[in-house]
Amino acid sequence: MFRVILYSQWKWSRFIIGLGTVAGFGLPILSVQSATRTGDHPLQAGELLQTIQSWGALYPVLAAALAVLVAIATWAPDHRGRHVHALTLPLPRWRYALLRFGAGLALLAPPVLAVLIGAGLATALAAIPAGLQGYPVALAARFALAVGVGYAVFFAISAGTTRTASAILLVIGALIVIQVVARVAAVDLDVVTRLQILLVNWPGPLAIFTGRWMLIDV
Amino acid sequence: MSNAIELQDLHYRAGKSFAFTNLNLHVPTGSIYGFLGPNGSGKTTTIRVVLGLLRPRAGRVTVLGRDMPADAPSILARTGFVPEQPHLDPTLTVRETLRFQAAFYPSWDRTWAEQLLRSFDLDERLPFGRLSKGQKGKVMMLLALAQRPELLVLDEPTDGLDPVVRRDMLTALVDYVSQREATVFISSHLVHELERICDWVGVMDNGQLITELPMDRFKSGIKRLQVVQAPPDLAGTPFTLLARESNGGACESWIVRGWEPEMTMYFDGIGASLQTVIDLDLEEGFVELLRTFRAPRG
Amino acid sequence: MYSRGCRILIATLLAAPPLVGQTVGELRARADSLARDWRQANALADLQDTLRHLARRSGRDTIRVGALTILANTSPLPLQEAAAQAWPVIERLYGPAAQAIAEHPIVILAVDPDTAVDRPPVGPGLQVPWNLSVRDLTRLLQSRVDLGPVDPGLREWLRGSLLLRDDTARRRSMVYVQLVTAPSVAVRRCFLGAVAACRDALSLSEAPDILTRWYDPAERRALATRMYLSPAGAGQTRVLSCKSGNDSACLDLLESSPPARPLDYEARFTLVELALHVGGRDAFLRLLDANPRDVADRLAAVAGVGVDSLVARWLGEIRAARPVPADVPPLGTWVALGWMGVFAAFGLGSSRWRVS
Repeated sequence: MFRVILYSQWKWSRFIIGLGTVAGFGLPILSVQSATRTGDHPLQAGELLQTIQSWGALYPVLAAALAVLVAIATWAPDHRGRHVHALTLPLPRWRYALLRFGAGLALLAPPVLAVLIGAGLATALAAIPAGLQGYPVALAARFALAVGVGYAVFFAISAGTTRTASAILLVIGALIVIQVVARVAAVDLDVVTRLQILLVNWPGPLAIFTGRWMLIDV
Repeated sequence: MSNAIELQDLHYRAGKSFAFTNLNLHVPTGSIYGFLGPNGSGKTTTIRVVLGLLRPRAGRVTVLGRDMPADAPSILARTGFVPEQPHLDPTLTVRETLRFQAAFYPSWDRTWAEQLLRSFDLDERLPFGRLSKGQKGKVMMLLALAQRPELLVLDEPTDGLDPVVRRDMLTALVDYVSQREATVFISSHLVHELERICDWVGVMDNGQLITELPMDRFKSGIKRLQVVQAPPDLAGTPFTLLARESNGGACESWIVRGWEPEMTMYFDGIGASLQTVIDLDLEEGFVELLRTFRAPRG
Repeated sequence: MYSRGCRILIATLLAAPPLVGQTVGELRARADSLARDWRQANALADLQDTLRHLARRSGRDTIRVGALTILANTSPLPLQEAAAQAWPVIERLYGPAAQAIAEHPIVILAVDPDTAVDRPPVGPGLQVPWNLSVRDLTRLLQSRVDLGPVDPGLREWLRGSLLLRDDTARRRSMVYVQLVTAPSVAVRRCFLGAVAACRDALSLSEAPDILTRWYDPAERRALATRMYLSPAGAGQTRVLSCKSGNDSACLDLLESSPPARPLDYEARFTLVELALHVGGRDAFLRLLDANPRDVADRLAAVAGVGVDSLVARWLGEIRAARPVPADVPPLGTWVALGWMGVFAAFGLGSSRWRVS
């Protein structure tokens, strides 16, 4: 069962996975190449770190994009048929959803591996200044976690009914309205910032995306 | 006689506009049950409740002797379903779709599936999304039949299909039923089609099951009588008078149910004259039944 | 203020010895000393004004813990508790030298944190809202420690505050990053273990060719061209010459407008911290002593070891303080996996996947 579900999801998401794999492989290599200077400027560790840090901002973007698109592709076959086929298959529904979840995770493995291989190659071939070292495994592991968390979030959203999505949007809208009213009434209540802090700082769900993504560091 | 499908005191509401209450329906095991009703009568909703896609507010649903939705996986493993609208992955080819379906059904008959593939003349390399409406219908029927189900649930399977495709699909259905004692629950508003294959009929209108009885009783039971000089008030009719219309002058046209030939003597008793007794086909009987059901009381 | 200043000036001048017969060097030293006295006198006069001001406005509190003295108006501010926490740290960091802060009480004006209430006009004393926490107040007191003026030589070398804080590990990690990333050949050689290069990088050497010892020709060229992006006149010629590879031209440009030192204040401060730590409890007193004037020798005297030995030890401490890239906290992996499970469960438990 898992194989056929994986295959059906692969047909929907192969383009995304292909692009993501190429991007995952190329990103670390391009970042190190960009940081390496020849000619007039000697290899400067400070500038290298700054360049690596700048490129590093693309990893969470790539992770989030892959997560969203693969999560959508996970449910695309069933969304088209309004889930009738899935709901009439002879297995517990949670198990079917679990198979879909697992298939999506499996499809995200190639881009993660591509990041690992690309990062490993980039750090192996680069002349890293003394005192700095490459962290290809740590970077790839973090990328894997970010992709996994993002995929789980969007999987849950995509698996939900329209009513669930509406409820979530309603809650967000209500928070924004409360914020605006509080501001107008000069009440010291900043719910949006607090929610942002809860989500983005550890141990929030989106914390894995924030911070510095450094392929090469001290 | 056991029932493959039993709905007991079912209550279901969909929004403010549609509901059915105290719905009782029985599909005998081994029968081909034609589920008739006009558009919007609740046939598809009933089928979705039977398959566990919708949850009733009250009542009990028993399919193949087990409770739905508690035993849904085991029931669905023995049930083939052909929906009204295509519901399969449009990117998978016909071959891939078969492979997908086979993975979920241990009872999948590969040989039978190949046979149907040939008899339906389907190109297995084409993606499902690129098939014509008729070809899609055939694929869905193939999937339902190839898993060798005990119960087939078909929701207007031939709606919008050309006569050739309809014939092919119904032939395959009948072939299957003849090989195996399967129960078929088929809904349609194409009454003449069901007349040929069904041995039980249930009629639904506006969320209510008007009648449910063997086909031959349904067909034979409803007659059109041409009556002359009948009195305005009638009492103690031995049959059920469904409708009474004037044809001009003293001649009237009566639609009755439960007619027996010996009932002609009744007209002598009321001073009327029975001119002719006309058999109604399923469609005529169905229309008259609906008309009667919808007519205001009193 | 004018009459007070005149009185101070007259008193200072009357106390000065006759100037006849003194050398230029002696006159210069005397001028420095008079300037110090002037500043001290002014500080005392300001303090007197503040105390009078406080007494006029409200009741006055005097908090003493060890040598730490705080003058404040009566308020809910938890000064006693904060002082009790601050003083042990101050005494530990500065040793016997900490007793000198008794001569420099901290004046605090506690104010109502409600912004609608009128604040007193800005004047001497530190305005502190009285809802400040004990922890923040303790840190504030530690940052206001005043041990008196630092001699110009040390001040010029350090180029920053001599205020000691209890965050050595963090500072050393920052200096590690500097050692690795600073665009200087001296710093790179220092990181690789060359003590002489460390002395240069820490500006302990007073060699005339310090620029060539700090930066190699490529770095000098990069620095000079960056500093002179839009040169005009004769400068333009030198910049072009420097860009084309003429190192003399680059050196001329850099000498006319010296660049920043390769290592910043934090690096030099950690060296001072280490010297104090090695030197023991009285080390800070020796640091404040302006003799010997050469900073390298003075640090060696503070630490009680040779300067090369001190620098080598400093390098070892810095290299041991390599920061761990902590973009994902130790439990971060489990947190992320946990959230994956939570959201997956939400997806599996969606109402679509229960009977609806």
